[in-house]
Amino acid sequence: MAATATGIHHRSYTSELRLRATRSEYFRLALLAVVLLVVPFALGNYWLSIVNTIFIAVIGAVGLNILVGYTGQISLGQGGFLAVGAYSSAILSDRIGVPVPLSILFAVALTAVVGTFFGLPGLRLKGLYLAIATLASQQIIEFIIRRDYGGVLTQGKGYINVDRLEFLGFKIGARAVFEQQWYWILMPLAVLVVLAARNIFRTGLGRSFMAVRDQDIAAEAIGVNLTRAKLTAFAVSSGFVGLAGALTAHYSEVVTWEKFTLEVSILYLAMIIVGGLGSVAGAVYGAVFMTLLPVLIRNVANAVEGSVPFLADQLPAIQNAAFGAIIIAFLIFEPRGLDRIWQRMKDYIRFWPFRY
Amino acid sequence: MFRKTRAAAIAAAAATALVLSACGGDSDTGSTGDGGEAGGDPIPVGIIADLTGATGDVGGPYNAGMLAYVEHLNANGGINGRELKAISNDYAYEVPRAEELYNQYVNDGVVAIQGWGTGDTEALSGSVANDELPFMSASYAEPLTDPEDAPYNFVVAPTYSDQIRVALNWINEDSGGSAEVAVLHHDSPFGNAPVADGQAWVEEKGYDLGYKAYPMPGGQPNYVGLLSQAQAQGAKYVIIQNVAPPAAQVAKDIQAQGLDMTIVCLNWCANELFISLAGEDVAEGHVLIQPITPMITEQPGHESIREYMEEKGMDESDVSVSWVAGWATMDVMAQGIAKALESGDELTGASIREALESMGPIDVGGLIGGGDVEFSAESHRGSASTGIYRAEGGQMVEIQGGVTP
Repeated sequence: MAATATGIHHRSYTSELRLRATRSEYFRLALLAVVLLVVPFALGNYWLSIVNTIFIAVIGAVGLNILVGYTGQISLGQGGFLAVGAYSSAILSDRIGVPVPLSILFAVALTAVVGTFFGLPGLRLKGLYLAIATLASQQIIEFIIRRDYGGVLTQGKGYINVDRLEFLGFKIGARAVFEQQWYWILMPLAVLVVLAARNIFRTGLGRSFMAVRDQDIAAEAIGVNLTRAKLTAFAVSSGFVGLAGALTAHYSEVVTWEKFTLEVSILYLAMIIVGGLGSVAGAVYGAVFMTLLPVLIRNVANAVEGSVPFLADQLPAIQNAAFGAIIIAFLIFEPRGLDRIWQRMKDYIRFWPFRY
Repeated sequence: MFRKTRAAAIAAAAATALVLSACGGDSDTGSTGDGGEAGGDPIPVGIIADLTGATGDVGGPYNAGMLAYVEHLNANGGINGRELKAISNDYAYEVPRAEELYNQYVNDGVVAIQGWGTGDTEALSGSVANDELPFMSASYAEPLTDPEDAPYNFVVAPTYSDQIRVALNWINEDSGGSAEVAVLHHDSPFGNAPVADGQAWVEEKGYDLGYKAYPMPGGQPNYVGLLSQAQAQGAKYVIIQNVAPPAAQVAKDIQAQGLDMTIVCLNWCANELFISLAGEDVAEGHVLIQPITPMITEQPGHESIREYMEEKGMDESDVSVSWVAGWATMDVMAQGIAKALESGDELTGASIREALESMGPIDVGGLIGGGDVEFSAESHRGSASTGIYRAEGGQMVEIQGGVTP
């Protein structure tokens, strides 16, 4: 809310708390809704599969942003928490026979508990020290799923095959309709998560998270219970991440440790940095951007393969280099990310031809 | 003002990028075998290759071998006049990229997939089963041979478990019936795969072999610590289930510490790379369990490779066992496709699976285990026989060929 459009006054607290105040905001919302409804019919299966991955990434990134962007607790444990969600939901639904929605709910709860546990060092540690502590949680979880002693997790196979999603007699169909049906599951969930996160930060709880981030001692002085705020932030954030993990398991239909490495944690951190720390919309933009980027680079490289074969030959290296370059570019030019860029674009248009 | 316009420019670029990417569509080509002439449409097969990732040193030759086979096949008339169209892309040994490539291939309408490592093979085994696409890869883990678990995965070579059984049989014989064995393995499902089966084999056969497994931590400058544990165990034999670079490091450490240990390398460290990385002298005398027959063994299947090499002016040293593995694996797949076409059914993943399961022995000219590859509806274990080699004078010299556990 850097600048409110002229002519908008709030006459009540309710009106001030509203997420949208202007007509153009409602118009954009309607536009987005239309796009979301049209996408599954307009895109082919390949692009739909990318859109579906984006939805899962959105859920995970929003969750991480609650912890890192809003509460200021740096976490490198994202991959591990995703793994907790994925493994627990897969094991519950496939081996024990719990209906999938219940198993996902349980996975969310379990990840929240595990996240809270690994958040305990956060009570004493700040900044880089906390980052290292969460790195430990990543390593511990990765160690457990990688070694899988006794075959408790994967029954000695090293991976879990997850059955195609089935609930109350409805079963996701074959490849032709697979992505579309998943779209109708993942899109509403992603929307719900975004709405939930948006609303958390209109409550006292969400505000206490931000107070902890901005100045924890001052927050304590004005009556924020630091212990509770930090642990709740870990729990809420991990809950969202657990949901993303569980959905990954059921959507990709296989769970292996290689999907939950430290690289994944860093990818998610990159998403929220590029998107904008401390902004729900930023997490969404970041997830979209970071998921599309490698795909885009590959398509470009393949398109120009004839003239610049070097690009296609060194593709993964170039993707990594572009990945790094983009993060550095954002840190230099707009540390507040895509979300801030979008705000500035809106301001620019709104105030044109004046600067402000 | 400048800052604002710049920000707007960046944002505009980002927005254009997003739009462009959405329009980019399925123009993906990758490196392909040459497109079709007469005799029907080319048959698309997707290859998920590691060229630049963690295992690129062996993944590159494997991919090259596959593409070479396809080129050779197409130059000689293809399959019933139809060309094989290999779509190969690098996934740099990163599972999410493999999944994305897989989705792209499915969208391109491929009838079969050639994968690479344990990670992508496991990650995709569920999807290929649901999408009915036969999947072969260079991951020879035992669970993949069971059609109940992985109905569309085909394992062309003896599994890591069969290889460790062969290794233990050889050790039992070589040691005269009593020795301590240390199993050094990669710290992952790939590395763990044969460990328990090896232990069970020792017990089942009643061998008087001590057997202890040690996971090899990554990022180590050397393995002296691990070797001193093995020495404390009294190990005379060190079985390694890992890729060549760490195995070569172990060989160097054994040399440097003056230990009396013989390495028995399984599959992915049993190659020319192990010998060249360790150095001829250091590698000398160590034993290699390798199911794919290297060029110097001169199997009948090597003749067409030689033809191809002559055509391309390639040198013998360009063709490693990993290269041959790629060639042979694509050969098995192509024969399955040919059989499926012969049966007159529509060419789908399901009909290729049916063909592979029912066609009986598949002749690969002795390139795999020195014999035929055979699948059935009950088992996708293509072969159980492997060769045993010794590093001598910088070469892989055959001790025994076609050994089964």
